[in-house]
Amino acid sequence: MQASTDASAWDGGAGRLRPTGPPRALPASSAESEQRGLKRSTFENRALAYLLLAPQMIVLLFFFFIPSFRALIQAFQLSDPFGGSTQWVGLDNLAALWRSAPYWAAVRATIVFTLALSVATLGVALLLAFAAHHVLRGQTLYKTFILVPYAVAPAIAGIVWAFLFNPAVGPIAHLLHSAGIAWDPNRFPGHAMTLVVLASAWKQVSYNFLFLLAGLLAVPRSILEAAAVDGAGPIRRFVSISLSMLTPTLFFLVVINFVYGFFDTFAVIDATTRGGPAGATTTMVYKVYQDGFVSLDLGSSAAQSIVLMVLALALTFVQFRFLEARVRYAV
Amino acid sequence: MVERTPVLDAFAHLILIAGAALVCIPIYFVFVTGTLTQQQVLQVPMPWVPGDQFMANVATAWQKADFGRLFLNSLVVSAGIVVGKIALSLLAAFAVTYFRFPFRMTAFWLIFVSLMLPIEVRIVPTYEAAANAALPWNAIVDALDLQGLARTITGRELTLTLDWSLVNTYSGLILPLIASATATFLFRQFFLTVPDELSDAARVDGARPMQFFWLILLPLSRSNIVAMAIILFLWSWNQYLWPLLVTTEKSMSTAVIGLRHLMPSADAAPSWHVLMSATLLTLAPPVVVVVVAQRWFIKGLIDSGK
Amino acid sequence: MLNLFRSCFFAALALLLIQPAQAATTIELWHAMSGALNERVDELADKFNKSQSEYVLKPVLKGGYDDVVNSMIAAYRARQHPPIVQVNERGFLTMLSSGAILPATELMEKAGHKINWSDFIAPVATYFTKDGMMMAMPFNSSTPILFYNADHFKAAGFDKPASTWPELEAQLYAISKKGVSKCAMVFPADWEWSFLENYSAIEDVPYATKRNGFDGVGAEYVFNKGRLVGHMERVKRFLDDGILELAGQGINPGQLFIAGRCSTVVNSTAAHAAVEAGAKFNWNATFLPTEKDSPAKNSTIGGAALWTLKGHKDEVYKGVAAFYNFLGNVETQVWWHKATGYVPVTQAAYEAAKAQGYYKDKPTREIAVVQLARGTPSDNSKGFRLGNSAQANIAIKEEIQAGLLGQKPMQKAMDDAVGRGNEVLRQFEKVNAGKY
Repeated sequence: MQASTDASAWDGGAGRLRPTGPPRALPASSAESEQRGLKRSTFENRALAYLLLAPQMIVLLFFFFIPSFRALIQAFQLSDPFGGSTQWVGLDNLAALWRSAPYWAAVRATIVFTLALSVATLGVALLLAFAAHHVLRGQTLYKTFILVPYAVAPAIAGIVWAFLFNPAVGPIAHLLHSAGIAWDPNRFPGHAMTLVVLASAWKQVSYNFLFLLAGLLAVPRSILEAAAVDGAGPIRRFVSISLSMLTPTLFFLVVINFVYGFFDTFAVIDATTRGGPAGATTTMVYKVYQDGFVSLDLGSSAAQSIVLMVLALALTFVQFRFLEARVRYAV
Repeated sequence: MVERTPVLDAFAHLILIAGAALVCIPIYFVFVTGTLTQQQVLQVPMPWVPGDQFMANVATAWQKADFGRLFLNSLVVSAGIVVGKIALSLLAAFAVTYFRFPFRMTAFWLIFVSLMLPIEVRIVPTYEAAANAALPWNAIVDALDLQGLARTITGRELTLTLDWSLVNTYSGLILPLIASATATFLFRQFFLTVPDELSDAARVDGARPMQFFWLILLPLSRSNIVAMAIILFLWSWNQYLWPLLVTTEKSMSTAVIGLRHLMPSADAAPSWHVLMSATLLTLAPPVVVVVVAQRWFIKGLIDSGK
Repeated sequence: MLNLFRSCFFAALALLLIQPAQAATTIELWHAMSGALNERVDELADKFNKSQSEYVLKPVLKGGYDDVVNSMIAAYRARQHPPIVQVNERGFLTMLSSGAILPATELMEKAGHKINWSDFIAPVATYFTKDGMMMAMPFNSSTPILFYNADHFKAAGFDKPASTWPELEAQLYAISKKGVSKCAMVFPADWEWSFLENYSAIEDVPYATKRNGFDGVGAEYVFNKGRLVGHMERVKRFLDDGILELAGQGINPGQLFIAGRCSTVVNSTAAHAAVEAGAKFNWNATFLPTEKDSPAKNSTIGGAALWTLKGHKDEVYKGVAAFYNFLGNVETQVWWHKATGYVPVTQAAYEAAKAQGYYKDKPTREIAVVQLARGTPSDNSKGFRLGNSAQANIAIKEEIQAGLLGQKPMQKAMDDAVGRGNEVLRQFEKVNAGKY
């Protein structure tokens, strides 16, 4: 993912990258702006900037901001789904959530689910990307295989995983039983959570793998060769060089995985466990759908969406602030 | 790297094989189910070995759901979304990283926020927006009573409200799905890693921003663009809820909807074998895209990595 | 020149006076019947379209029941909705309080069709009637019955399942102990319908106050008092002792029966098609078991009905009425019943099927109809009219599941279920104050 740089950045032996030549005397404001996502050297053409932004903003206005506003405003209303009667109830819907034990259970489930999912996904993808980058033969074949899950519609993926692990008829469940594990996601909340994490991670590993591999391939061979000449083995090179050059990608993926776990996993959960047993795998996003789509409780669903959005934005903001500070964009 | 690391090589291969297997076992089962008959499918446990009904089931699935037309629609819609989204995002990311202007960060966060509310949660108002794209205009007309104004000025009854319906159209299928920021975020990350020397040099040479964009930035971004294109193509190919809502004509439906409709409802005879072979059919184009795009993707990386 | 002008004028006049042939009016019907049932609906539309030339019925499959409702709401708010929509039976109050519907009785009267509404079988009629009018046109109705594997029962030494729960329990335990099958019974996915609602109806115990909600606002769930608690404790016993299996996702409970793994299943009569197509053993069906001292009232319906939405031209509604008329024909009803397994909704259709000797060939198909028409309906067996019951069911099932899995005592689980259900009812009333 990174653009090419100069081979003399490898300091040979100490195992760390260091900036080429004397440190640049960056004016304070530029250092700040680089942290805020702006290049040091910018163009001065404001009108052009607005013009470039316009198409995206217009589409967003019509098809995101306006509909979202209309959807979320229902958080402060008690409305009949057909739009016939609407009463303003202020913060009542949000207060009801605060008092609702099932809602807090969903919050807990979400935290557990998203953390487990992120760790599993990034861990497996990194391992696979390292391996795929290392081998010379069969790369294309392996890559194709690993990318396939992303092609499967989430609903289908869920059904297939549910089937494979079904305690009555699933082949993998059968294997687990023969190994002495009393696998039953219909009865044990822990098993059900494991199942949804597995099924969700399965789909997301491809995405992570693709970008990690792209990142690894973009590490300049010259640096790696220099390190090899100095005696660093493949694993050492990976850990010291590639990983630190991968930080922008890793940061991107952490945010994306996190957004995925928070927002895009409804279909998989619906197909594998339906939020059960007894609500054990009902995450916040699953509850939003359940309450909005099945129960037609638009007020509560909108209130929950707001909470979800605010939470996600807050956490992302924190990630930008603290993690991005560690990201090395320029070398 | 000319070194010999046989142990690590073997280990790496092992990991990859395990990874590929893990990834493919579910697909393998989709395949096996698609080759069985109705009776065999209902057997518990299901056989691990494929049956012989592959072509028969594929033919049934193709006919039942009229897949020819559905595939075409899915292709058009996915292509539209890929092109549209990537184009908009490249421009927006360029603006937000290479230009200094008031409200720059606000714009970025506004764009970023669109990741935080998936379409399913705002589906009803989005449908209303697609059913009449001129709704905001109409709201303004009503709020300011522009029709009343027109009446007083011209003395005639004028209809200023518009009705622009995107239901059952390709634009209706494409536009609302373009409205989110994943690609912008990715390109922004990438642009931030492009060395400043490049844009410095461009400015010194008197290049205008768009020249820098076309001649330098875009070629550098090739591999990211291809990666994003793969991801977006697969994502839009698999969209279900929005296409379901915005189409009522069978001729405008997409492949995944056709697939879902084959899914047996609780009250009917389960035809999983037909469903699974339809799944394989629906999987085929994305897989082809992945395989083909992969070569470009590697090429792009090799070219730009020097 | 004048001649030319005159001939053009008369030609134009002639053209104006010649009425062009009326293009047929298209009537869209949004439904949730997927898979094989989708083909049946298309056939039904075909039959109607061939029987006359003024209207063309166009069925559109919009996904599952939830998808149809959400599509309908989105379309209604954007004024792009169809005239006919299929909504499942528990959506009755939601549709009624929408202010968007035309009652079926009114529609038919206006169009001049004579329907004998009293010929509809009692549970169907009572479910959809309000203020003396049928609000929706019954379409696909079913009721749960007990399917069983005759081979398994024989191997365990029984002729057929007993008619009471305690005796059936003994039989199921025997089947399990003797190793005849690993799974004596599989729990259906929609167990709130068969194990909670229908049990209460058959045993003539109230599910909710105000005659299960028929008397209007202020109903409260009361199923946590009375024999339903004992019934769910029985289910928990089955589960703990390995008699009952939970199918979970990824496989249909009915499939576990059809595959010969589970000996019995309480399932909708509409599952007949699947069983007939797939079961490779001697299977049979019988009435739902009752308690020993049970009054054995009628069971209640499941399935869906067709609702007519306002906002279309009169011409369209004439077509809708024509279709409903066609649907209510004895001939159509008998065909639909045979092709899908749903019950015939009129007495006349039932009699006709009987006269044709259909039930001699397929005696199990008659069980549902007989069970629905059994005895005189009491206040507890006329059905349910509880607001947002889809939402309440999610909460109720979650709580009772916790009880079944041993996370809390069953009585507490039922009490919590009732508590959460009542919250839903109160909210529904707040939103729809004064509408029904």
